[in-house]
Amino acid sequence: MTYDDTWTRLLAIIRETFEDDTIDLQRETTAADVLGWDSVAHVQLVIAVEEQFGIRLTTGEAAGLANVGELADFIERHLAAGT
Amino acid sequence: MDELQALWDAEDWPGAARRVRELALEAEDYTAVMSLVRWRKRLAPHLAPTDGNAVRVALLGNATTEFLAPIVELLLEAHGLRPSVHLGGYDTLAWECLQPDSGTAAFGPDVIAVVQSPLGIQDWPAATAAERDAGAWAQGRVDGLLSLFESAHANMGCDIIADTLHRLPLRPHGSLAPRLAADRNRLIGEMNRQLAARAPDYVVLHDVDMMSSVVGLDRWVDYRWWYQAKQPMSFRSGIEYARSLTRLIASIFRGSRKCLVLDLDNTLWGGVVGDDGVSGLAVGAGNPVGEAFVAFQDYLKQLKDRGIILTVCSKNELDNARAPFTELPDMVLSLDDFAAFRASWDPKPDNIRAIAQDLNIGLDAMVFVDDNPAERAIVRQLLPEVAVVELTDDPSDYARILDAAGWFEVPRLSQEDTLRTQQYQANTQREELRSSADDYGTYLQSLEQRAVIRPFEDRHLDRITQLVNKTNQFNLTTRRENRSAIEARMRGDNYLTAYVRLGDRFGDNGLISVWYGHMEGTVLEIEQWLMSCRVFNRGIEHHLMNYVAEQAKSHGIDRVCGRYIPTAKNKLVADLYERLGFTCTVRHEDGSTDWELALADYRPTTTFVESVEDY
Repeated sequence: MTYDDTWTRLLAIIRETFEDDTIDLQRETTAADVLGWDSVAHVQLVIAVEEQFGIRLTTGEAAGLANVGELADFIERHLAAGT
Repeated sequence: MDELQALWDAEDWPGAARRVRELALEAEDYTAVMSLVRWRKRLAPHLAPTDGNAVRVALLGNATTEFLAPIVELLLEAHGLRPSVHLGGYDTLAWECLQPDSGTAAFGPDVIAVVQSPLGIQDWPAATAAERDAGAWAQGRVDGLLSLFESAHANMGCDIIADTLHRLPLRPHGSLAPRLAADRNRLIGEMNRQLAARAPDYVVLHDVDMMSSVVGLDRWVDYRWWYQAKQPMSFRSGIEYARSLTRLIASIFRGSRKCLVLDLDNTLWGGVVGDDGVSGLAVGAGNPVGEAFVAFQDYLKQLKDRGIILTVCSKNELDNARAPFTELPDMVLSLDDFAAFRASWDPKPDNIRAIAQDLNIGLDAMVFVDDNPAERAIVRQLLPEVAVVELTDDPSDYARILDAAGWFEVPRLSQEDTLRTQQYQANTQREELRSSADDYGTYLQSLEQRAVIRPFEDRHLDRITQLVNKTNQFNLTTRRENRSAIEARMRGDNYLTAYVRLGDRFGDNGLISVWYGHMEGTVLEIEQWLMSCRVFNRGIEHHLMNYVAEQAKSHGIDRVCGRYIPTAKNKLVADLYERLGFTCTVRHEDGSTDWELALADYRPTTTFVESVEDY
């Protein structure tokens, strides 16, 4: 899977989680930029990402995401490591 | 989910909502369930309120329960209930139970579900603590919990569902643990044991300990979410948890399924009796496939022993179908274990309908088990109320699959449950007597019916609650109440209550009718009147009315009022008050009717029932 594939799938998951098909993402997008991205929604997003990519983020990664770009990087890293 | 989008695009809101409910009962992964949660929310503004029983659930505990709430609501709706869920917030159990003005008290729950995680326990005794100290610690924790339940029950008059604690997936003492009294998993076992032994009747146990073991503790616990959000279990497990909790709540407020309809060939034994002959069937020791079928029968026998009705629906010649039960020594089930036995070449939906009629139970009380996917499909299609178990083609899986579906969850066991098959068999004998009697009166007379009619008593409250919540047909108002509310009626000064137990020459029918009403001045208003379908058309309602009239008179009543509230299932009693000599006073727009009877005008009806103190 290329980085672009990962990005496309991540965008779809985020749109589904926040029930908004118009969300557009940049690597720099943070939780504060997306309506409804509170702590409960954040956990839902992490779970959806884990289920759909078949990976498992660490406690630190799941808790402290700086922005969407970082999440995409974490996904890439876990996919590459097969974890 | 594409099909939901299609229904949405076609603006078929009820159709989409129905499909959401169906999918909710099957969906397993978190993403799919959350998608259904979103669909439910999206559809809500387009839907008229459903007519299911309203149920108010408070989720409390020593952990956060936010993530469970929308899933619990989704699943309760899938079970045909109209839920409202209240959250207590992280670790607020004590406050919510003890404060008469807590948010939970203001919410007014029908049931409080207490979510308990061992991860939230902080004062574990040291691993080397003496046996006596460890025991005292466990007892103290259970004491604390029970006293909270007692306060909540006293303050809010609701039932309580309490989790047992799951074990911890960590083994610091390895195989030494069973020898250490203060090993945490041993303490958890001790707390669970004490909770089960000591909890009063208004507490229903939710056996998370066992459920988490079946799922696997490594999967059940996800420490990350405990550290991050004090979430008591992994999300995936949260779905299993919500599934099991809502089955329990549905069993309290909607009733449970109680009848299994079983195929024979390749379901109860390996092979086809009509082709292979009795001696060619695989059932019994010495053959792995035969052992699997014996084990499945053994599982079914356990269900039967606690009150689940077993019936047979098979495409076979009757003699062929019966032969294995009498000729094969290794069969666990015998013909006596079945309350109905239908073997014919008629379509299965017809036979299942006939069984429901014979036993006088609803199709929505039945679960169908058949190895043949085509039979399952046609039953699904033609009898959507019947639950259909999706078996694999391996008999080793049968018991596990049926077990995991959890159709037969009941909150409590009543004496009637354990006698049920016997009672339904006696019904069949009564049918035979009836067809041989010259007229109905002669038949009723020959039944030698004896009734015990008494005000409610503590020892019958479980059964009374069960009847109030599951009786559909002979039910004037279909007002569902929890055990605590019924207990309040029993103790209320201005209430008259009555139950009927019925015996006859074929045996004990158990407690089969429930009635209560409240008195104001010289008027008695009937709130609840229902009767088990097992004893329709036997004059019991007349006998009870005679009793009520007598009791009412002795309390200075001169007028009795009652209401009939129509539902999809209670047409049977639409004219009950009329038949008893009441006059209709109001016909409401929703179809409800109000009735009134001047007691001075009441003439007791002659019945073929003898009143006795006991039988």
